[in-house]
This record gives sequence, structure tokens and C-alpha cells, in this order.
Amino acid sequence: MDDRRRRFETQALPHLDAAFNLARWLTRSDADADDVVQDAMLRAWRAFDGFRGGDIRPWLLAIVRNCWRSARADSKRRGQVALPEEHMAMTGEVLQFTGPSPEASAVRSSEGRKLDAVIASLPEEFREVLILREMEELSYREIATITAVPIGTVMSRLARGRAILREKWLGDVESEAHHGVR
Amino acid sequence: MACDRASDVAAYLDGELDATAALAVEHHLESCSACAALLRELEALRGGMRQSASYHRADPALRARVRAVLDEAAPAGKAHMPQWLRSAWAGAAGGVMATALAASLAFFFLLPAASDVLVTDITNAHLRSIASEHLIDVASTDRHTVKPWLAAHADLSPPVADFTRQGFRLVGGRVDFVDGARAAVTVYRHGAHIINVFAWTNSEGRLPQFATRNGYHIVFWQSGNLAFCAISDTAVDELLELSRLLKEMSLPDGRE
Repeated sequence: MDDRRRRFETQALPHLDAAFNLARWLTRSDADADDVVQDAMLRAWRAFDGFRGGDIRPWLLAIVRNCWRSARADSKRRGQVALPEEHMAMTGEVLQFTGPSPEASAVRSSEGRKLDAVIASLPEEFREVLILREMEELSYREIATITAVPIGTVMSRLARGRAILREKWLGDVESEAHHGVR
Repeated sequence: MACDRASDVAAYLDGELDATAALAVEHHLESCSACAALLRELEALRGGMRQSASYHRADPALRARVRAVLDEAAPAGKAHMPQWLRSAWAGAAGGVMATALAASLAFFFLLPAASDVLVTDITNAHLRSIASEHLIDVASTDRHTVKPWLAAHADLSPPVADFTRQGFRLVGGRVDFVDGARAAVTVYRHGAHIINVFAWTNSEGRLPQFATRNGYHIVFWQSGNLAFCAISDTAVDELLELSRLLKEMSLPDGRE
């Protein structure tokens, strides 16, 4: 293994989980997330000499997001000329929300499953900022760079996404609690 | 019902306010029940997203496929950064975003970009210290040993004390680097947790109040021309307690 590869292994590969988590929440499908992450890691490897140090995770996540967007644009373009069956299969794959495996579901709380479904149902621009802020604990500035919007937009998207979550998730949790008391 | 300071509460929760603005929000929270309730809800959401929602991890098969893809890829030689990435990064470095923000929010201050670098620096130094053998250069529970050693090796003389009675046992010190400058590090043990307290010369005076990175909490404070920060995976309250103990020592009537 040469030095460049060794540096990539020690710096970038530890963040494969973060890359997959973002890809999985963007694509909402295990298979699509796998493809996006493979593509992103290859692009990151090719662009690695241009990485100027600092925290590599936001840099990597920006590549993941960009790969997802170009993959989706490609599939839309191909979708326009595809045969009807193929078109169905393709959009079906993209839109289908594949939940966690049955074994995983068994040990997970219904609260967690419900929250997953609510997050998955958020419009993408709100979903991505919430994943980056709450799960990856990135700063507004890092999120702004990854999503290529001004910080003010990051803040308003976070606020909107949180408002929807509060309404759909906390609202239900509270009303369920009331039902329980009765 | 909704208060016009609601967006401050979110920025406060996200650790994006400087010390002055954070203090102002804390004062506001004492008197505004709407904002206090909002903060509790946002914290509940955060707890839900971190503990109940799925964090999807790459499975070993994907890890292996990625390695195989890298093996196949020809050594890139003079690889170039894609244009979109280069411009995004140049924009971030140039503070384009900061300008956009200043226009959108005039009533509180976001931390300067430098604090991002600082937080990354400190987190990396902390990770290095606990992952390697290089946690302690001088192992001692005696402040009369640690303090002179730091003064001699880091050219700094931060307050050092053993707070075993309060739950923070002094275990030693070392020299590390923060922001390209030499830092004196005092190492404490709190239960099973290691707490690194960094001290370095900082005359610019602008520090974040606290931050969370990769699950590590970081609390900052300034005393005279020295900047301090305590970092650990312990609860943030414990860090605040240690910082309070250390701050008391820096007061004119504090025992040294």
C-alpha cells in the first residue's frame, strides 16, 4: 500500500459510516446508498490530493451529496427515454422507503420507527440539514458548504425542518401519552 | 405565543453563539416561558434523532467493495479537485457565507470561522492523546510537580490543582499544539473519563463558549491572556464544574 492510499485509509475510511448514513437518508434505499457511497469514495480518492487538511468529514459528505444529486439527475434523464417497465422499476426503486430489516425492527422501539418514518417523509432540503446537524453534529458553516447555500438558508431550513418534526413527532408522542392516561 | 427570539434559541442549542450572545439568550430563557419550552422541545428532538432514529452504518460488504474499487482505481497521479468542490471550498475559506449571514441576522454573532478550525484541532489533539501512548508527559497527582514541568516545557503557567475531592483527579500534564501554538495540557480523570484541559496564549480573546464534536463536549473560557478549554466525553455539566474550579483559582483571591 503506498503512502497516499495509507493516508486515505486512515483519514477518509473511518468516515464511511457517516457517508453511508447520509447517503441512506438521502436515497432512502440501502441499494442506492451503497451505489452512491462507492461512487463518492472513488471520487474522493481521485480528488484526495486537492484536500487541504482540516476536518475531512464535511469534505467527504459534500462529495456524497453531490454524487447522489448527479445519480438522481442521470436516472431522471434516462427515465425519460426508458421503456415503461424500466421507468417504473427505476422510479419505484428511488421512491420506495425501505425500512430497517425485521430483526432490527424487533429490537427497536416503535418510537424510533415512527421517528424514522417522519424524517424520511421530510422534503429533502430539510432532511439533509437535520441529518448533518443532529446526527453528524456539523456546524452551520460546514452544512452551508456541503449543501451549497448561505448560512441564513441553513438556519431557516433547520428551523422549518424542526418545526415539521415537532408537529409530526412530538405532537403525536404527546397525544399518545394523553390517550395512555385516559 | 411564539417569541421573536426563537431563532436565537436554536442557534444557542446548536452552539453557534459567542459567549456574550449565549449569555443574553440564557438571561432571556429565564423570563420567557415560550422560549424555554421551545428549547426543551428542540432538546427532545435532538435526543430522539440521536438515540431513537436510525443511524445507518456501512456494512462490512460495502467496506470491502469500496476497498476493491480503490484497489482497481489507477493511482491518480496529479488528480484534480472537481471544479464544484474547489469553488465550494474556496467560498467557505473566503468567508462568502459569513457575509451572507451578517446580512440575514444582525442581532447576534456567529462564531468566526477560526473557531471551527480550533474545535477540530482540539478534538483531534484529544483523540490523539487518548488513542496513543502520548496522554501524559509528566505523570503526577501533585500540582507542585506538574505546574513547574508545564512552565518549563510549554512556557505557560496555567492553574493546576488536584480536585480529587470534587471528583477530578489530577493525573499529569503534557505539551501539545493548538492552533499552531504550544499548549500546556493538564490531564484529569473523572470516573472512567479522561479530561484534557488545554491552555494557550490567546490575546485575540474571541472564543466559542462550548462545542460538541464527534460526541466530545468542549468548554472554553478565557482568563487574562490565556485561553482554556476542557474536552471530554463526560457530561457537559462536569466540564463546566471543572472549568468553574479552575476559574476560581485564577481570581486574584484564589489560592494558587
